[in-house]
Amino acid sequence: MKILLVDDESELVSALAERLSFRGFDADWVCSGAEAINKVKENEYDLAVLDVKMPRMSGLELRSELNKIRSGMKYIFLSGHGSEEDYKAGAAEAECYLVKPAKIEELVDKINLALGPK
Amino acid sequence: MGATALQKDRDGLCFFGQISAAISHDLKNILAIINEDAGLLQDFSLLAAQGMELDPQRLIKLAEKVQGQVKRGDGIIKNMNRFAHSVDLPVCDVDFRELTELVISLLTRMASRKCVTVTLKEGEKVHGKGDPFTIQMLMAKGFEYAMDSAGRDGELGIEVSSADGVNAVTISGLGETLPEEQLAELDSIAVKAGSESAYVLQDNILILKF
Repeated sequence: MKILLVDDESELVSALAERLSFRGFDADWVCSGAEAINKVKENEYDLAVLDVKMPRMSGLELRSELNKIRSGMKYIFLSGHGSEEDYKAGAAEAECYLVKPAKIEELVDKINLALGPK
Repeated sequence: MGATALQKDRDGLCFFGQISAAISHDLKNILAIINEDAGLLQDFSLLAAQGMELDPQRLIKLAEKVQGQVKRGDGIIKNMNRFAHSVDLPVCDVDFRELTELVISLLTRMASRKCVTVTLKEGEKVHGKGDPFTIQMLMAKGFEYAMDSAGRDGELGIEVSSADGVNAVTISGLGETLPEEQLAELDSIAVKAGSESAYVLQDNILILKF
């Protein structure tokens, strides 16, 4: 399972990637939408975990861009709380939305749910 | 309470809410990072119990990261506290430079989202009397509109000065001219802030006078 994590908080996303790797996932991480687009062009990811609120390109905008490159990818949104963008992401993707700070077990469950049986 | 007073209260509350939301978002991020760092420590402990060798340097770096985030959170909470206390007195001595620094810090997330760099230029302390909360509101609105005008990758320079008894915050680096409705809104807040002359817009510069 190849996963891409995108969040402008590098410390958060690097720790999360390492923790997912301990749980058997092949996880890469980047800190911006532009970097994510380049990564997805170069690699075949099964799923991307996107921060909803990021400078330059929001998680929702990034998903649209990534869908153009790789249509079959699954998405999980990870964010703070309460903003209009968060609400839109939560309403649209209720089953794939986690609020920070999230439990790793919850994230793993969401990833497995999104990717389906191996 | 009349309609005007109610509207004034509501505008103030909206501003307070906007700043509080930004702060809570930053604090959430910090908690999330500490949460993952603690989780990594937990993972390392579990893996060590299964025989994996622990690198002490990794643990030291992880501890330093947590300390760094606590320091970041402490700075944000100190600013939040200063901001919260700005409603204590309707009129008091105001250090305009200090207040400008605070507003820039409180708008860090907004500047990052709008991809604008905001730099406070060196200068002397500037003192005066006024309502610190409403002054912050005027500065924040001015900075926000200036960021929109500067656009992505814009660079705003902010200068605090005093001349002939007038204190001024000058924002340079604007791109497009501010729309009429934004200027009218700044004017309306300036009146609440007790400012006689709200703004002077010239050559990509916005001046807030107090």
